[in-house]
Amino acid sequence: MSAPTAISPTERVPVGKAWLTTNPQLRMLHTLVRREFWEHRALWIAPLIVAALLLLSAIWTHGAMQIDVSDSSEWLDPQIKTIVFALGMWALTIPHYLVMILVLNFYLLDCLYAERKDRSILFWKSLPVSDSVTVASKLFVGCVVVPFGTYAIALVTDLLFTAIWDLRALIGHAPELILWDTTAFVKTQVLMFLGLVISILWYSPFMGAFVLASAWVRRNPLMWVTIVPLLLVIVEKVAFGTHYIGRFLSYRGDGIWGDLHMESVVIGSLTGVGRAAIASIPSIYDRVHIAPAFANIDLWLGVIFTIACAYGAARIRRYRDDT
Amino acid sequence: MTAVIEARGLRKHYHTTPALEDVSFTVGAGRIVGLIGPNGAGKTTALKAILGLTHFQGELRVLGLDPRSRRDELMREVSFIADVAVLPRWLRVAQALDLVEGVHTRFNRARAMEFLRRTDIRMRSRVRELSKGMVTQLHLALTLAIDARLLVLDEPTLGLDLLYRRQFYDTLLNDYFDKERTILVTTHQVEEIENLLTDIIFIDHGRVVLDSPVESLPERYLQLTVTPENTTRARALQPFYEREVFGRVVMIFEGRTSAELAPLGEVRTPSIADLFVAKMESRPRGDQKEAA
Repeated sequence: MSAPTAISPTERVPVGKAWLTTNPQLRMLHTLVRREFWEHRALWIAPLIVAALLLLSAIWTHGAMQIDVSDSSEWLDPQIKTIVFALGMWALTIPHYLVMILVLNFYLLDCLYAERKDRSILFWKSLPVSDSVTVASKLFVGCVVVPFGTYAIALVTDLLFTAIWDLRALIGHAPELILWDTTAFVKTQVLMFLGLVISILWYSPFMGAFVLASAWVRRNPLMWVTIVPLLLVIVEKVAFGTHYIGRFLSYRGDGIWGDLHMESVVIGSLTGVGRAAIASIPSIYDRVHIAPAFANIDLWLGVIFTIACAYGAARIRRYRDDT
Repeated sequence: MTAVIEARGLRKHYHTTPALEDVSFTVGAGRIVGLIGPNGAGKTTALKAILGLTHFQGELRVLGLDPRSRRDELMREVSFIADVAVLPRWLRVAQALDLVEGVHTRFNRARAMEFLRRTDIRMRSRVRELSKGMVTQLHLALTLAIDARLLVLDEPTLGLDLLYRRQFYDTLLNDYFDKERTILVTTHQVEEIENLLTDIIFIDHGRVVLDSPVESLPERYLQLTVTPENTTRARALQPFYEREVFGRVVMIFEGRTSAELAPLGEVRTPSIADLFVAKMESRPRGDQKEAA
């Protein structure tokens, strides 16, 4: 932090990694992403808290270790153990993604609204960062950095949780309870990752709409994105007695998942638990179809809508005249 | 002299209230220009037009670029502090340095650090923990460390106490300004920047009332403290402004010579503050239109 007394204007103090300082575009992107995490600390604190709670639960829960091994030979069936292992992985990621959805909603609704609310917008606009780059950086954080960051944190949580579990099984002299199946692990993670990619693309219109609302409305973006669709549904019902809007919104909610034949996995594993006849988890996964989801035109129409929202948000931020 | 700002016939209305009415002026490179006017005169609107922050009609070139269509390019060479610009309250001082360094190729971190070392501002502090004076100091440190061709300051010392204000203008003049840079500053505390400016533009009710280099003011404007017996003769020379101070009449003339006025009393060049008041008060104020 010490600065020399005589400084030539051309002299630069190097910071960070070399590749970040040499390429101005990368350096800007890196800076803008950091800026979002400085302002919206929930983006990184929330997933760490979730991870910490899950790991604590792995340490503190006793129930699982008190299974009477001699009585539950069925539980020790390797196929059942694999299912428990795989389902456990899914179960452990659920809190991560639920919290992520919550945090992302608030983040996206706030990202362009906060700078107007706290009147810092003219400071931001005095920096050589265009409105499109600003909006893009926020959507990049919402659509890429946070989801894949959450994926990484969930993955690490899974591994640590399993490690703690297995360690406790070892210490507790119950090696029969040690859970690990590399094939199931890899297949589960690949499926989760692809599911995440599909989710981001499929739900991106919501993110785009939230960013647009954040740039547009004078106050309370949360109210706008909840009340307006609700009112549209009600008005349509009252005026025409139809519910196309509601159906459309509900389709944009879960419409893509039919393409994956995901239900066969869920039903298969639910009815399968405890039955020796069940096929192994890896073979259940093989029934999931990823390609049709990417071939669904609605997925890409949604992405186009998202880009249009981002463009709109950038235009509004550029030409808004009430600061 | 290359023009840094060239404005021709700028117009801008807020609903029905005119904020700029046919404003034209030119700012040359290496000048320190004071845009001076009462509240609501249109100063801020003019600056916002220059910075590409508002719609307007008319022709405007800033560093050769139209700020309406080429704002992004312009912002690489222009830095500004708007009167309402507030640093985000969650930002830490160290983060602010990282931020500007990360997005601005012309930012000199060491320079900003040097400005900050003269203050009580600590690197770990958040903006919300700093006093108003410190926030302004931080903002100035960030802005003055940017090697910009044009610096625009809108009421930069608003709300600061005298000590900070003096310090600010000293820093601006001694550590920042050089012949390559141009500074455009608005304030309504004219006395403070009097000695700093190379040019003045008076603006009132959205119109330019006076646009002149400071060095040519003495040739155009003279202030006469009239000896009592000469009041009538002095009035015959058509002063555009007249007031009484301690029982003596002070008049301000445009386009008269010292030789004409010297026999009537004590002649000197009016201060910019006096000239400002004279110009503002001598204008007909029938329609009190206040622009936002």
